[in-house]
Amino acid sequence: MDSGLPILELAGAQARSDADEVLAPKIDLRLGAGEFVLVDARHSARPTSLADLCCGLLPLAAGSVHFLGRDWSAMPQDYAAALRGRIGRVFLSGSWIGFIDIAANIMLPSLHHTRDDPIALRERATSLSCFFGLPGLPLVRPSELTASDLARAACVRAFLGEPELVLLESPVQGRFTSLVAPLLDALASARDRGAAAIWFTRSDLVWHDPSMPATHRLRLGEHGLVST
Amino acid sequence: MSDRLWIVPGPASVGSRFGWVRRALALIGRTAHVHARFVLFLASLAIGVIRDAVRPAAWRRTVRSEFRRALRQAVGGGLSTVLVTAALIGLIMVSQALYWLGEAGQRELIGPVLVIVLVREVTPLLVGVIVLGRSGVVVVSEIGELQIGGQVRTLVAQGLDPFLLLVLPRACALAIGSFTLGILFVLAALLSGFLAGSLLGAVGISIWSFLDRVLLAMHPIDFAVFPAKMFVIGLLIALTCFLTGLTATAQDELADLLPRGFVRGVVAILLASVVLSLAV
Repeated sequence: MDSGLPILELAGAQARSDADEVLAPKIDLRLGAGEFVLVDARHSARPTSLADLCCGLLPLAAGSVHFLGRDWSAMPQDYAAALRGRIGRVFLSGSWIGFIDIAANIMLPSLHHTRDDPIALRERATSLSCFFGLPGLPLVRPSELTASDLARAACVRAFLGEPELVLLESPVQGRFTSLVAPLLDALASARDRGAAAIWFTRSDLVWHDPSMPATHRLRLGEHGLVST
Repeated sequence: MSDRLWIVPGPASVGSRFGWVRRALALIGRTAHVHARFVLFLASLAIGVIRDAVRPAAWRRTVRSEFRRALRQAVGGGLSTVLVTAALIGLIMVSQALYWLGEAGQRELIGPVLVIVLVREVTPLLVGVIVLGRSGVVVVSEIGELQIGGQVRTLVAQGLDPFLLLVLPRACALAIGSFTLGILFVLAALLSGFLAGSLLGAVGISIWSFLDRVLLAMHPIDFAVFPAKMFVIGLLIALTCFLTGLTATAQDELADLLPRGFVRGVVAILLASVVLSLAV
């Protein structure tokens, strides 16, 4: 791995669980600039928990999580929120606010965290939409879009703000394989910029794809992340 | 598996002589705990809104955009209902007051009666209920859906503070919207009442003289209490509805949340109105 300051570092990080739950596993992961980890989450009930852990959203029972050299647990809330704006994420569920259109949903984090010109932002979002295979930036509500187009729109949002870390929670369901090629291209551009990426997959097709340019392949199970 | 799916024998049901006392105490404690927690949450949200409303850094463009949307929804959505209700109140109440006070030779009481009844009491209550019905239930529905669908957590994961993005703009929009609609309600009720009274032949004064009497009957405190009532009612509607939506669980459906939010909103309106009336 990269010897410089890592983008993300989980050192024995163990999420605090409720008393009646199974104890969360300890996670060790060090991700440098340009690195790409493919995580097999086919047999895990908690890929979202690991993504949340990376974003500093879960309280820790042990260990630490550093993003861009800063400890999530030692940061003031405002500061942590601003840093989360530098993470692009495709969510497994609960992605879209139903009462605003997809375009507003996509641009919301960038509009909130930056002072970028909204017209330029809209142009960037439109070109990214076309890049991911949409006819343009969708101006309809989430309920009016197909699951396939929502998956593409989720990728547009994840890459719009030129993130330092990209977290992809099963971005490609089995039937949307046409999304893989543009997604890998976008990942390559992001890694060239110095971003790191974690792709949690539940798809056999993606996990067994030899062309997947992952620098590490890990399996998420009951005992945490293990190398394959 | 959830306990709610099964009936299991509890320790209290097995032959305990004082089991019913324990159950009654538990019920009282549980109810008190839930309500006390809700009130405390409400108070902390209100303090947060008041603190952040005057902090320029809180008003990012996404928050301003939500504020504009919520204000348009609050004022635009309730305007026609407010004007129609005000016209009906004017016909029923103002024209009757003009007629009967005129018949009794007590025309000088027109101003004080209208200020006490219409401005201080009826307007805040009716506008509050209209804002609750037109905008409050929308807040319950929107926030409830976000909470049940997990989008509130998604917002946090993107570094978007749900308080700034969802609570602050809605609370400010409903407070300002209530005040605006309250002013329009009073004007529409006075004008329609005067018009109806004139048609009945019960008014022997000009519209300017009528409005002048109403204005002269207003004490300095009325100029503070009426806006205070309208702002507080709008704020409480937004916060009770927001909290109702935010405390939704996966088992809740909108059909459960909406009546719960409506009842809490009505109680908040009545309490705010009574407390501020008693404070005068």
